[in-house]
Amino acid sequence: MIRVQTLTKQYGRKTAVDGIDFTIAPGTVTGFLGPNGAGKSTTMRMIMGLDRPTSGTATVNGRAYRDLTAPLHEVGALLDARAAHRGRSAYKHLLALAATHRIPTARVHEVIGLAGLESVAHKRVGGFSLGMGQRLGIAAALLGDPQTVILDEPVNGLDPEGILWIRALLRQLAAESRTVMLSSHLMSEMTQTADHLIVIGRGAILADGPMHEVISGATRTVVRVRTRDVNGLSAAVLFSDVAADAPVEVVVSSAADGAVEIEGLTAEQVAGAAAAAGVVLFELTTREGSLEEAYLSLTADAAEYRAMTAAVKGAAR
Amino acid sequence: MTTPALATGPTARPAVPTRRPTFGDVLRSEWIKLASLPSAVLALVGILVVGLGGSLFLGATLESSGVPSTPSLERTIGDVTIPMVVLGQIVAGILGVMSVGAEYSSGSIQTTLMAVPTRLRVLWAKAIVQFLAVTGTALVTVFGAWAATYPFYAKHGLEAPLSGPGVLVALLGAAAYLGMCAVVGVGIGMLVRSTTVGAILIFAATLLGPILASALPYSLISRIARVVLLGNAGDTMARVESPGGPFLDIWSGHISTAAGWLIVSLWVVLALAAGAIALQNRDA
Repeated sequence: MIRVQTLTKQYGRKTAVDGIDFTIAPGTVTGFLGPNGAGKSTTMRMIMGLDRPTSGTATVNGRAYRDLTAPLHEVGALLDARAAHRGRSAYKHLLALAATHRIPTARVHEVIGLAGLESVAHKRVGGFSLGMGQRLGIAAALLGDPQTVILDEPVNGLDPEGILWIRALLRQLAAESRTVMLSSHLMSEMTQTADHLIVIGRGAILADGPMHEVISGATRTVVRVRTRDVNGLSAAVLFSDVAADAPVEVVVSSAADGAVEIEGLTAEQVAGAAAAAGVVLFELTTREGSLEEAYLSLTADAAEYRAMTAAVKGAAR
Repeated sequence: MTTPALATGPTARPAVPTRRPTFGDVLRSEWIKLASLPSAVLALVGILVVGLGGSLFLGATLESSGVPSTPSLERTIGDVTIPMVVLGQIVAGILGVMSVGAEYSSGSIQTTLMAVPTRLRVLWAKAIVQFLAVTGTALVTVFGAWAATYPFYAKHGLEAPLSGPGVLVALLGAAAYLGMCAVVGVGIGMLVRSTTVGAILIFAATLLGPILASALPYSLISRIARVVLLGNAGDTMARVESPGGPFLDIWSGHISTAAGWLIVSLWVVLALAAGAIALQNRDA
C-alpha cells in the first residue's frame, strides 16, 4: 500500500509536484503515466525517501520510507537502470546490497536466475546493455522479496522476450496481492499490464481510476457507420426513441473518410433506428478509445516538452 | 509486524522479516563494495608498491647519494615513511572521494540509500571501511619498508630501531595519516559528490597547497596556511620529532607531532561533519 497525501516538491520557484494525493492498493498493477517532466520520477523518489518533500507525505504500509524497519523487505524499487557502479560485477553489486539486510547468498543467486542474468552475473556492469541493466535493476528490486514494487520505465531497452517476461512478472506479483507501481511511456505495454491508472501532468493528478474508466472518461466511444443515405440516417438516429431516452446527447458527425460517426448510442441502437427507417448500412462498428488517445487527450495541455503541437492535438481527436 | 495493509489482499502473504538491519550489516556491505572494485584494489596496491619501492630506492642509493656523517633517526625514518606519504596521501584521499563520487556518478547512491535510509550510517560505514583498508595497507607498507631498508642503514650505523625515540610513533603515524586522508576524502566526496572535484580538493590540501604556501611571500596568511594545510600536518605525523620543540609555532612553521595529529584530526572531523550535513539534508 502506497499512500501519497498533498505531496509537494518545489525546486526553487518551480513546482515539480503540486499537492498530489493518491493511494495504490495491493493486488493491482497501477500504471503511473505522464509526459516528461510531469513529476513522475520526483514522486517516486519522494516515496523512496531519496528526495525530501517540500510538504505533504508519502508512506509505504503506513510509514515514511525512512521509518521502515527493513526497507528492502518492504519495498523494492527500480528507479534508474544505470544505478550500479560500472566497474563492479552484477553479482557483487547484488551481494553488497544483500549484505545490508543479511539476505542470504542463495537469494542473490535466485534473483539472478529470475532476471535471466546467469551468464553475465560475473561480468562488469559497465559492459551491460540497457536491457541487461534493467534486468539487474529488477533483480535488485526483488532481492528482499518485497510487498511493494516500484518500477520506473522498466521495459525501456528490453527485447520482446524481456517485455513479455516483465509483463508476466508484474501480473504475478499483483496476483500475489503485492502492490505494484509502474511507470512507462509505452501505452500498448501499459494497456496489457496495468489495471489501474494514475495520470499526472505538470505536477497535478489528471486522472486516477481503473483503466477502463480512465479511457472511457477521456475518449469518445463512437459507432462508425457507412451508408449512401447520410441524411436519412441522421434523421433516423437523431429522432429515434432511443436517442430521446439516451442519457447523453446523441451527436452525429461525418468522418474524413466519408463514414458517419455516432456518439451516445450503442451499435445495436443505431442498427435498430436505421432498420426502422429503412436506411441501408454497409458498415457498422463500435470504435472505443485507446489508452494512447486517452493519455494524449488528458495530457494535451500538460505536456512540458512538445515538438509538434498541432500534430499531437490532431492525434488526440 | 503485520500491518493491516498486508492482510487486505485476497491472499495475504506471510509477514516480512522484521529484523532491523544493523550497522555491522552496512559495514559489511561497504566492505564488499570496496573489495569488489578492481580500481580500488589497484589503488591500495599502488600505495604499497610506491611506498615500498620508494624507500628501497632511497636505501639502495644511500651510498651513491652520500652517507650522512652523523646518525639521524629523523633522516632514516623520513626515508622510510615519506616516499609512501607523498604519493599515498593523494591516492588515499582520492580513494575516499571515489568511494562516494562513483556512487553519485553511477547513480548507485540511490540503491545504497534505498537499502540504508538512515543515511549517516552509510557515511560512517564508508569512513570506517576506508580507514581500515588504507591504514592496513599503509601499515604493511611502512613496516615492510622499514624492515627491507634496515640492512642498508645498519651497514653505516644509521639504522633506526623500533625502540628508538619516536620511531614507532612515526611509522604508526604515517599509516594513520593515510587512513585519515581517505576519511577526509569520504567527507569531501559527500560534500561535492564528484570524484573530479573531490580529487582536486584533495590534491590541493595535501600537496599543491603546501607547495604554494611555501612559495608565497612571507605573510600571516601564508604562515597560517603552512601550518593548517593537511599535507604539512600529515608530514609531521610521519616523522621523528626533534626533541624540545614547541607544540606549534606559526612564525617558524614548526608543527610538533602532537600538533600534527591534532590538525589532521580536525580535518577529519570537519570533512565528516560537512559530509554528514550534506548527506542528511540534500536530496540524493
